Amino acid sequence: MSVGVLVDVMLALALVGLSLRVVTGRALFRDMVLFILFGLVISLSWSRLGAPDLALAEAAIGAGLTGALMLMAYRRLVEGGAEDSPGRRRSFLALPVGVLSGALVAVIGFAALGVERVPGAAGTLVLEELPGTGLGNAVTGVLLVFRGLDTMLEMTVLLVALLGAWAVLGEARPGRLHQVDRDTPLVAALLTSVSPLTLLIAVHLLLAGTDSPGGAFQAGAVLTGCGVLLVLTGTLRPAVAAGLVTKLLVIAGLTAFVLIGAGALAFGRPTMALPGTWAVYLIETAMMLSIAVTMTLLFARSRGLYPERR
Amino acid sequence: MTGVLLGLAVVFLLLNLLAGLWRIAVGPTAADRMLAVLLFGSTTVAVILIMAEWLGDGSLRTVALLFVVLATVVTLAFVGTVRGGEGS
Repeated sequence: MSVGVLVDVMLALALVGLSLRVVTGRALFRDMVLFILFGLVISLSWSRLGAPDLALAEAAIGAGLTGALMLMAYRRLVEGGAEDSPGRRRSFLALPVGVLSGALVAVIGFAALGVERVPGAAGTLVLEELPGTGLGNAVTGVLLVFRGLDTMLEMTVLLVALLGAWAVLGEARPGRLHQVDRDTPLVAALLTSVSPLTLLIAVHLLLAGTDSPGGAFQAGAVLTGCGVLLVLTGTLRPAVAAGLVTKLLVIAGLTAFVLIGAGALAFGRPTMALPGTWAVYLIETAMMLSIAVTMTLLFARSRGLYPERR
Repeated sequence: MTGVLLGLAVVFLLLNLLAGLWRIAVGPTAADRMLAVLLFGSTTVAVILIMAEWLGDGSLRTVALLFVVLATVVTLAFVGTVRGGEGS
């Protein structure tokens, strides 16, 4: 047995074992921690499978967002007195849902085993046509050039999610989110060193995304990590209303997509035909900003954010 | 030969994660579990860096970079959430 197979088997076992523990466990905090680990192992698996784009996305979202979100939720639960109730309710749906999901995975797996390579499949076409787009990264090519409409709709989904959250939020005043005082030892130093780094890495991911793994989604997620840091330390405070800048940033991604996509019509080209690499950069930048602002606002449960003045 | 050795290093690091899992299962405090998560994060970074060399895919190093920078987020969220002795 080669070493590669051994690594694959270990990763697969770790994924199945961790997910079983997360689903069946009864200690809230421990299972949360295990879920964070699950994200790490998923990222390792994507790396092993040679999909650095997905590994990047998982790293950015799993490390920067999910863990912090769950810890915040945990704090609210503890404050609400719901700490680890021993008799967690059992659902009668658990078994059928589990069996059906297993069956679905098995069917897809068996179907995938029997699939033969089709000549002229979408994937090979993309790789053939990629040099004509001026992009080096097939994933970015698919997201922005070949399937631009899908990506535009994804931005719409993100916007709708934020609007939905705002609707549920109602007129309630934003809660106290700020977790750590900046007077706490090391926190100020941490902020001053980490937040510029996240900016740098986000911009790097965005620019590198045209030729190598990276792109607007990963860059946006990294920026969100920076936003979450600032919210947690109270450097950015939740505001009651969204300012003009916030609103513009939230719709920037969708707007850039629509304007450039529809603008192609004016020049007699098909809708969503991007005029060049500059359009890709422009849309990706707008998308990154929109993603970062939207997700930070969702994390902060607020309509806007304002910097703390000291 | 180097490839096999790099692969074995990955296997060794993955086995190390088992030790972290044991600490998470036993606890006893939330801080112990959180530290195990940070250990997991560092080990993951090491595994990814070795994989970048092993699989010959340099872009994996960016993944490792992200993990290093964003590890601070979950740490800060934890510091504000749970006091050392709390949690199970």
